[in-house]
Amino acid sequence: MSKELIRLRDLTMEFDGERILDGINLYINDHEFLTLLGPSGCGKTTTLRIIGGFLTPTSGTVTFDGKRINDVPPYERQINTVFQRYALFPHLDVYDNIAFGLRVNKVPKDEIDRRVHEMLEVVSLKGYEHRRINNLSGGQQQRVAIARALVNRPKVLLLDEPLGALDLRLRKDMQNELKRIQQAMGITFIYVTHDQEEALSMSDTIVVMDKGRIQQIGKPEDIYNEPKNAFVADFIGESNILDGVMLSDYKVKFFGRVFDCVDKGFAPNEPVDVVIRPEDIDIVPPQQGHLVGTVTSVTFKGLNYDIIVEFKGFKWLIQTTDYHGEGSTIGIRLNPEDIHIMKKSEYSGMFGDYSSYSAEYDELTEDAGDEEE
Amino acid sequence: MKKANKIITIAIFIFLYIPMLVLIVGSFNEGKSLARFDGFTFEQYAELFRDPDLLALLGNSLIISILASLIATVFGTFSCVGINSLKPRMRNTVMSLTNIPMTNPDIVTGISLSLLFVFVGTKMLGQRNSLTFWTLLIAHITFDLPYVILNVMPKLQQMDRSLVDAAMDLGCTPIESFFKVTIHEIMPGIVAGAIMAFTMSLDDFVISYFVTGMDFVTLPVEIYSYTKKPIPPKIYAMFTLLFLLILVLMITMNLLQLKSEKKKARG
Repeated sequence: MSKELIRLRDLTMEFDGERILDGINLYINDHEFLTLLGPSGCGKTTTLRIIGGFLTPTSGTVTFDGKRINDVPPYERQINTVFQRYALFPHLDVYDNIAFGLRVNKVPKDEIDRRVHEMLEVVSLKGYEHRRINNLSGGQQQRVAIARALVNRPKVLLLDEPLGALDLRLRKDMQNELKRIQQAMGITFIYVTHDQEEALSMSDTIVVMDKGRIQQIGKPEDIYNEPKNAFVADFIGESNILDGVMLSDYKVKFFGRVFDCVDKGFAPNEPVDVVIRPEDIDIVPPQQGHLVGTVTSVTFKGLNYDIIVEFKGFKWLIQTTDYHGEGSTIGIRLNPEDIHIMKKSEYSGMFGDYSSYSAEYDELTEDAGDEEE
Repeated sequence: MKKANKIITIAIFIFLYIPMLVLIVGSFNEGKSLARFDGFTFEQYAELFRDPDLLALLGNSLIISILASLIATVFGTFSCVGINSLKPRMRNTVMSLTNIPMTNPDIVTGISLSLLFVFVGTKMLGQRNSLTFWTLLIAHITFDLPYVILNVMPKLQQMDRSLVDAAMDLGCTPIESFFKVTIHEIMPGIVAGAIMAFTMSLDDFVISYFVTGMDFVTLPVEIYSYTKKPIPPKIYAMFTLLFLLILVLMITMNLLQLKSEKKKARG
């Protein structure tokens, strides 16, 4: 494994008495693609700005290559940033924007020229040297912002929701592009996003944050398959979260039935949260099912149907490619590896119940409608 | 309704510009009386440029206006950067304090400045003649400042603050980032502020009257003494030229603003 490059130790941040970050401990390896993921207001951008040097933490230390850099201003750090709304300089053209950092650092003229053209090629903007910034599309501005940061050959690139302003298609393209650039140049990327799909598909390591605290750190697969608490389970993908009791290792009881599972290490009869991903559930004829329920709503999603099934008053979300009509009775089977057990946390009982699913869905479409007006 | 609107607008413009028109016509008049147009001539202009005293006064006015507006623009722009980085409550207080001198009656500002200069000059520095070119310049800078701040401040607040972050991220110290990025973004405000300060200085009579000494007199102060006797027509010629100068400046200012707005709209 590569060596550690940045370490955040007991980082806290307060604005006007309000605690934005609450004890962040994190290390970032060289050449790593690390994503800070969380809802707005979780402290991810604040963390990024502290690493960039734009904010000084209230307490705690930031070390870079083993040296404490709390008080090193941004212009003396070997770190560059791609800002949320790009922050390109409107009075300069594409070439001058990219050359900006090199000129400030007094790089010889012919080297500037060589490196800017090299970068233009990396971000596929050859021939755009003398375009005005205002005459570029969002995607092109994005590329200029990336080139402007990378041309300085930083050790670390910080990206603050860089794809947030792009449409879905372009976003997908840029995700691949970013991953390619990161691997080609071998630079550490610290990426901030609230988009879980983006985080899962691009990152080596994901840091899930909420309320100024780190909820879980891990590889994308681990975060998805073994969420640590109800917040992570709900934020990364859809989850049905139920109350259960861990009878002994590999045995969990919920809905009055004992299931085999693959988790262990809990106290006997410890109350736990049980996570079942909607795509892991197998639908079978009622007489063969572990549980039998009634379909209460069906939503066509293109790839699959989202169906809401009521089991003893508790509603689950199940994703299936086969159509099951509203009102039909179905059985489900749960394999041991489909069941994930989590310790109870402050988030228990707040997520993973789809009883209000249809109402929630209506609200979402209403909001989208408002935005278009 | 629309028609009435149009008529009123035209009427307002006539009221506003008729006095100027009378003056301009008067400046081309052969006779000495404004009441009768005796024929077209450039004689008044020729007369004006043959009068070294008047030209010297005009020169004085231009020197003081240009110096005062330039210095006020530099001070004002840097003050804005400082004010803008204050916390919102403090910023609003400071902005109100800078705006008060603009609404303060000139005569009050003039007398209080005069008292201050005389007090500092004679009592503290022991000068015999405390009102000089320098007190006049200081007074002009003082009343020019709020106009510069008034024009620069909105541009600074409209500016995307992450531009400064980006400049520092790319290696600029805060001062470098001001000169390489911020100043380009707020330039229209700086130019507008400088032009406004210049015009304010050029036509100021009340404050100048109280703070200037015998050795340095500006045009408006001198002309004030003319009003007690008949005004020679060459003065009309000079006013016409001044009016044209201000007109050109104002049109430039508006064009600049239009241009920057267009740029915004495109982006």
